[in-house]
Amino acid sequence: MKTSSIDAILQKRRIIITCGTGGVGKTTLSAALALRAACLGKNAAVITIDPAKRLATSLGLGELGDQPLDLTPQLRRAHLKLKKQGLDISTECKGTLAALMPDTRRTFEAFIHSLNPSPAVTDQILRNPIFQIFAREFSGSNEYMALERLYALNLQKRFDCIILDTPPSRNTLAFLDAPKLLTRFFEERLIRWLVLPTNKIVSMGMKKALGVLEKLTGSGFMTHLFDFASALFEVQVAFSSNLKKITELLESEEVGFLVVSAPISGAAPEISHFIESIENHGFHFDGVALNRTLGYLRKGRTDKRKKPNQLAFQILDALQDREAEVTRQLQGVVPAYFTTLPELARDVHSIEDLIHVATAFDSINR
Amino acid sequence: MSPVPSPSSVSSVLKRHLIFVSGKGGVGKTSVSQAIAHSLSIQGQRTLWVAFDDPLRPPGELRKLSPTLHYLNCEATIAFEEYSAMKIGAATLTRIFLQNKLVRYLAKATPGMHELFVLGKVWFERLNYDHVVVDMPSTGYGLAMFQSTKNFTRLFRGGPIHKDAEAMLETFANPTQTGFLIIAIPEEMPLQESLELNGFMLELFPKNPAAFLVNRRFPHSTESATPENSPESWENPIPTSAEDYVHKRVILEEYNLRLWRNAKIPIEEVAFILPTPQNQMIEGIASELKTRGHV
Repeated sequence: MKTSSIDAILQKRRIIITCGTGGVGKTTLSAALALRAACLGKNAAVITIDPAKRLATSLGLGELGDQPLDLTPQLRRAHLKLKKQGLDISTECKGTLAALMPDTRRTFEAFIHSLNPSPAVTDQILRNPIFQIFAREFSGSNEYMALERLYALNLQKRFDCIILDTPPSRNTLAFLDAPKLLTRFFEERLIRWLVLPTNKIVSMGMKKALGVLEKLTGSGFMTHLFDFASALFEVQVAFSSNLKKITELLESEEVGFLVVSAPISGAAPEISHFIESIENHGFHFDGVALNRTLGYLRKGRTDKRKKPNQLAFQILDALQDREAEVTRQLQGVVPAYFTTLPELARDVHSIEDLIHVATAFDSINR
Repeated sequence: MSPVPSPSSVSSVLKRHLIFVSGKGGVGKTSVSQAIAHSLSIQGQRTLWVAFDDPLRPPGELRKLSPTLHYLNCEATIAFEEYSAMKIGAATLTRIFLQNKLVRYLAKATPGMHELFVLGKVWFERLNYDHVVVDMPSTGYGLAMFQSTKNFTRLFRGGPIHKDAEAMLETFANPTQTGFLIIAIPEEMPLQESLELNGFMLELFPKNPAAFLVNRRFPHSTESATPENSPESWENPIPTSAEDYVHKRVILEEYNLRLWRNAKIPIEEVAFILPTPQNQMIEGIASELKTRGHV
């Protein structure tokens, strides 16, 4: 079924997850989407990962914004001001808008705490050097923590529209794979091997393999690893049940996925790959937003006039041609909602700027 | 606090044996690193261009692109297997080791392992080439590779992995052997992120400062930025016409580059290459690199 507008999607879902590669303007778009929901009368929140400094500032997110910050007064003021200036927007902005930026490192520790009531085990995990690599660098922990945060926020029922801006991922939905990656470490059968390495039933092959591993890694590593694994084993049940709840939420009708891309060559196969991934996970794919487009600037072109900087216009032409080609390819492969959003002349500085962007949904290229 | 060392020049970094190309996602690391590898190889230098986990190529693939240029799609599991075979020696024991479920699981799931082994693979491969040019993953993941290696040397003692990780770090820290090139485009986030990345890299390798390169520089014009028409003063961030866009983009790029000027980073650049078919674009960037004396 083809959904015709972004507003229909915002009405249908409680949660929209935006995903895409880096540099496509996903964070700005996510914030604009939450703002648009607020103008539809929703209590909207955007969970953002890594906003540009100016965007963070305009969302009231300074160094830390771990708790939802209410932006409704600023939104209403900006809305009123633009309305007075004659911008074609709704007469009133009835909903609310909040933004938050989870502190992933702190959340990870909080998450471990939440899994296990025993202070000894918590301490054992947090002090372990392998945990320290795990918490900071494990590719996937950021993504997983964002999901944890989404789940917790959704439970509160304070918001009826949450936009989750996910970390960029290049070719696969690393973000969707994050729960799976973590599960690997928590996989019961294998952790059992680690926890009970000297078990009588250990085969000769296993003894040999572990012997080689110890030789390769040197002393210390194996000890820390066994220690880490046995501590994780203690929280394994709690982790698995958390993961199950998150997965159920993501698979539910409440959650829709919006793929964000830019009109670059190779965008169409990349987007197809994202869509396939979303559907393979059993999630609901809602549509594609092609951001940073320039095609709409073709209207009212003054080709005859002599312009300075001819080369710049040549580049612009080539970019617009490429965009037209990408759009043509996409209309063939995207079975759902498709929209284009404009490339901006400068970064977003304020809530007013975000209103301009939010207004551009479904309005340019028409 | 010690003063921040001045950045290296792009041309000095591109003369080094091992060249790591990093930066934010979407700045053109793949195209620029390929163009660098291409440029070095047509000078007759045996060159290896390395990508990590390119999903469009078979994992671990080593492919000859020209008599002097090879491409490697470096993948962690394969790198781990090769490394294990090299260190264990005996074929039977290697097989037992690599087929062991727990070992396979640990190689996949242990944090930092992936990063250590792919970087190790690059480090070993340098012995076979005059230049190795590495297309790093975007900022955070790329940085994690070096940090993981450092963590392994710090946290664990003894054993060949520890020893090799230390030797790797020594090579990376040495400006006569290794160079770091940080790419950005003239947009706020990539420029900002390049500075942050540089800070982290200097913590790891204080004596080997990176070089900086702005990619996709839009053609400058006579109507450049003045303090009066700063982007701050534009009411609507959405441009109204093609003329308006071009005019504002020129000003915006100048304005964004203040981040580097303030950090005293020389603006070395590569012009915007028209989005033509991939091979023409690589040659376009390579010719830019040559014209501007980068390589």
